[in-house]
Amino acid sequence: MSILPEELVNLLKDHDSVKILSTTDENGVPHAVAKGSLTTLDGITIAFNEGLDTNISNKNLVRSIWFDKSVAINVTKGGVSYQIKGKPYKCLITGPVYKEFLLKARERRGPDADIAAVWIVKPDEVRNETPAIRRKEEEEKRPFFNRHLDRASIKKTVHT
Amino acid sequence: MSNHESGLEELADRYPDVPRFIILKLDAQRRGIKLTENAFNAVQEPLYRYGRYSGVKGEETSKGVYPGPLILRDGTTVLTSAAAASQFENPYTIDHVEGKFYIHDNGRRIDEVDFTPRPDYYGKKTSRGVPMESIASARPQRIDIQPYRYCHFWDTQDQCKFCSFFTDLEEQRQLSDEKFPRALNVEDIYETVREALKEPGRISQINLTAGADYSGAVPFDNEVNRYIEVLQAIGRNFSGRFPSQLLAPAYTKKQVKRLYDETGLSSYCPDIEVWDENLFKWICSGKDKVVGRNEWVKRTIDAVEIFGKGNVYTNFVAGVETAQPHGFKTIDEALKSSFEGCEFFAKHGVVYLSLVWRPWKSSVFAGQKQPPLEYYVRLVKGLREIRRAYGLTSDNDDYKHCGNHGDSDLERID
Repeated sequence: MSILPEELVNLLKDHDSVKILSTTDENGVPHAVAKGSLTTLDGITIAFNEGLDTNISNKNLVRSIWFDKSVAINVTKGGVSYQIKGKPYKCLITGPVYKEFLLKARERRGPDADIAAVWIVKPDEVRNETPAIRRKEEEEKRPFFNRHLDRASIKKTVHT
Repeated sequence: MSNHESGLEELADRYPDVPRFIILKLDAQRRGIKLTENAFNAVQEPLYRYGRYSGVKGEETSKGVYPGPLILRDGTTVLTSAAAASQFENPYTIDHVEGKFYIHDNGRRIDEVDFTPRPDYYGKKTSRGVPMESIASARPQRIDIQPYRYCHFWDTQDQCKFCSFFTDLEEQRQLSDEKFPRALNVEDIYETVREALKEPGRISQINLTAGADYSGAVPFDNEVNRYIEVLQAIGRNFSGRFPSQLLAPAYTKKQVKRLYDETGLSSYCPDIEVWDENLFKWICSGKDKVVGRNEWVKRTIDAVEIFGKGNVYTNFVAGVETAQPHGFKTIDEALKSSFEGCEFFAKHGVVYLSLVWRPWKSSVFAGQKQPPLEYYVRLVKGLREIRRAYGLTSDNDDYKHCGNHGDSDLERID
């Protein structure tokens, strides 16, 4: 398991970035939700809390840890975007990390806020999905594939 | 029964819809756990250092104390204690390497595990100077209080034949007034709960149980009065009804109504212990003499009228129905009986839950043979399917609150 890129770590710790968790049910049907609590505590794994044991995401996460299924996470801010694929490794229901997430939830939402569990996901694959980076990668690999010829970088500009 | 006993990996392959975590839990409860020296030293750290009231021999040694319940990676709680390792022939081993605990089976590493952290109220004392950990013990998300630590069924040798309650697990006698006080002071209970609630997110349920005391004008009247007093004291910490469970004998409807009306109790669990009528009479002779098996069942069902569907539970000690000489001879017969019991109770809105039988040395059933692991795998799968068909969930006994029930653990994805 590798250490997450610094840019991604910063994005994960940024409260203003958008974080999406995608899980699947027993039939493979996807379920995507925004996860404000999602972050990294160690620069290696992803951590976030689930509010309810009965949330579809939480049930899908349980199914994933039980039956070795992957989840996907997208983190985006501005023009920068990363996708992480990985597997749930731990479900914390008590202890210092659990307490830390609960206290953060209460800071944000008041003293009646509650959480059911904190999930730790171990990434298997991290992919930079920033559009400019992806396009550059693809154009290096397949420079003549599916490029509109009227793009500024291709079409010769004729000065009259 | 077959001589070949399939283990964790074989059964995980054979029953792919039963998570490996749950099979591991069932087997760890069946076979017990022991700690390596490294692991024992690691649980002396402040995060884990448990120490609590217990009669169990060796629970607290000159070298240190044993930890609280085991927790698997998926959050499954496993109620088993390394302090009781000497009771088992082939326990799993917990080692500690580079800051992490791992469970091993005969030298083979199975998985990373953890232990329940020590709650903040441990080490504190009530205003009467009583250690709070002697009033309430903690599981990952609940505390357990035993207001009366003596079972009077033992007075006439009518204790349940699997029972080791309030013994040291070795000798067949109860130890209250010798190693710990028989009855708890209600103010100590109130103060302990109040203190426990100061720790954020530590407790989401309070459980009560005790030894049976059938004294009173109507059998159990004195016990019911005691529980009402205790629950009212606990209730002073809350603004209304609170998540709680009372594991107690099957009371009359009038007694159950008093418990519901006069306290904040939210669920009630009169344990049937074994479904088969004849086996109940043999194994639970005290319960049979004081209440009677059919009356026990009737009272359990009647309690649903008061607490509501899904808020009445009954546990059975899975495997005791195979105890000899009167028990079932095959696991198919044993399973059939338990599924019949589950279906019967489910129809009436009662949650019928299994827990793994361990033939403790202090129990009458010492030396009896447990059913194989496959029995438990088939059992938890079947029980979960029956309850699901009746729309029942085990909210008070789920994966994070109890640690005893592989069948309710499976409900996490329902």
